[in-house]
Amino acid sequence: MSNHNPDALHLAEEQILQAVIEEAGLSGLQRQHLAECSQCRSNKERIENELTHMRQLAERFAPEPLRRVTLTPDRIRSPILFRRFAFGIAAAAAAIIVVWAAFLTQNRQSGNVGNLAQNMVEAERLMTEVNGLVENALPPVYLDIVGEVRLSQDEDFIDFLIPDDGGAPRISASAKKGSILC
Amino acid sequence: MTPTTHKAAGLQTADPQLAELAKKARDGDRPAFERLIDRYQGDIHRMIYYRVRVRMDAEDLTQDVFVRAYRSISRLREPERFRSWLFTIAVNRVNDYLRKKRIRSIFKSSDEGIEIQPVTTDIQSRPEALQQVLKEDFWRHVEGISKKLSKMEREVFMLRFMDNLNINEIAQIVKKSESTVKTHLYRALVKFKKEKGLRQFLQEDLT
Repeated sequence: MSNHNPDALHLAEEQILQAVIEEAGLSGLQRQHLAECSQCRSNKERIENELTHMRQLAERFAPEPLRRVTLTPDRIRSPILFRRFAFGIAAAAAAIIVVWAAFLTQNRQSGNVGNLAQNMVEAERLMTEVNGLVENALPPVYLDIVGEVRLSQDEDFIDFLIPDDGGAPRISASAKKGSILC
Repeated sequence: MTPTTHKAAGLQTADPQLAELAKKARDGDRPAFERLIDRYQGDIHRMIYYRVRVRMDAEDLTQDVFVRAYRSISRLREPERFRSWLFTIAVNRVNDYLRKKRIRSIFKSSDEGIEIQPVTTDIQSRPEALQQVLKEDFWRHVEGISKKLSKMEREVFMLRFMDNLNINEIAQIVKKSESTVKTHLYRALVKFKKEKGLRQFLQEDLT
């Protein structure tokens, strides 16, 4: 472009593109030519229209958002708050585990005491039975046959075998003088 | 409450009301932040969808962007720049998502992760099927131009011409000077001009 005659020399392609980006980027003469020359203005407007139409089509062919953006507490929780929250949860979980473990141990101990008492009762019953067998190994039904059932109770029979001497000690006179007892 | 849709052109944070809302939100006013969500959810959702092209992922990422924004809004120094600040979070989140997706794709077969579109058999009898074909064609062309742009060219091109942000906002988002942004935009436009398929599609749809 060398003079003010709009028909003489038109804006070069790069100047048109520069005008599309920012018209203020052109020199005063170029701006003046652009204002007066319908051909250059048309070139510039054609590109601008294409770009505007591209934007409009992009808007038309882009989907609308399906949901509104929400700022729910869990979405906006800061990392520090989240760490505190996680620490709290961990502490609560640890406390629950400790309480549960203590409860479980206590239950086990009370269970052990109950078992021990039952075992002792059973042992005592067994020992009674054993002691009974030691005294009389035969079952009670056989004791009548063998006649041992009243053995310890028949005092008359014992007196017959070993007469009572009136309560004196069974020691002879000689023994009193130092002889050896028979 | 359903998310409201706003055209990006009317969403400059320079709007004193929005700046005031951002200031209140920064000072801990949750309802003010929720109003900002209503205002920007559509834009952020679209911006993410343009880049990830998977609807459910775009939903989740949008949710995540706002939650991150809410967590860190107390550090927002200039409430009047809330929009570019929010887009910065979204751009970073999308880049993070795409990076992870690339890594995952190494271990997956090539057809995994692609949204299956319903098969269109009879276009004549289903007007919506024609729209579906147009839609697929459009996104195929957009993907075509995207592949020809460098990472920075693609970012500034999409922020400027699809998300409708101004050059100053883009410079803040990509953390470059305005002249650098313009240079990348210029290179992207040169490639766009050479992209006959997309331009023809747009011109035909215009007429």
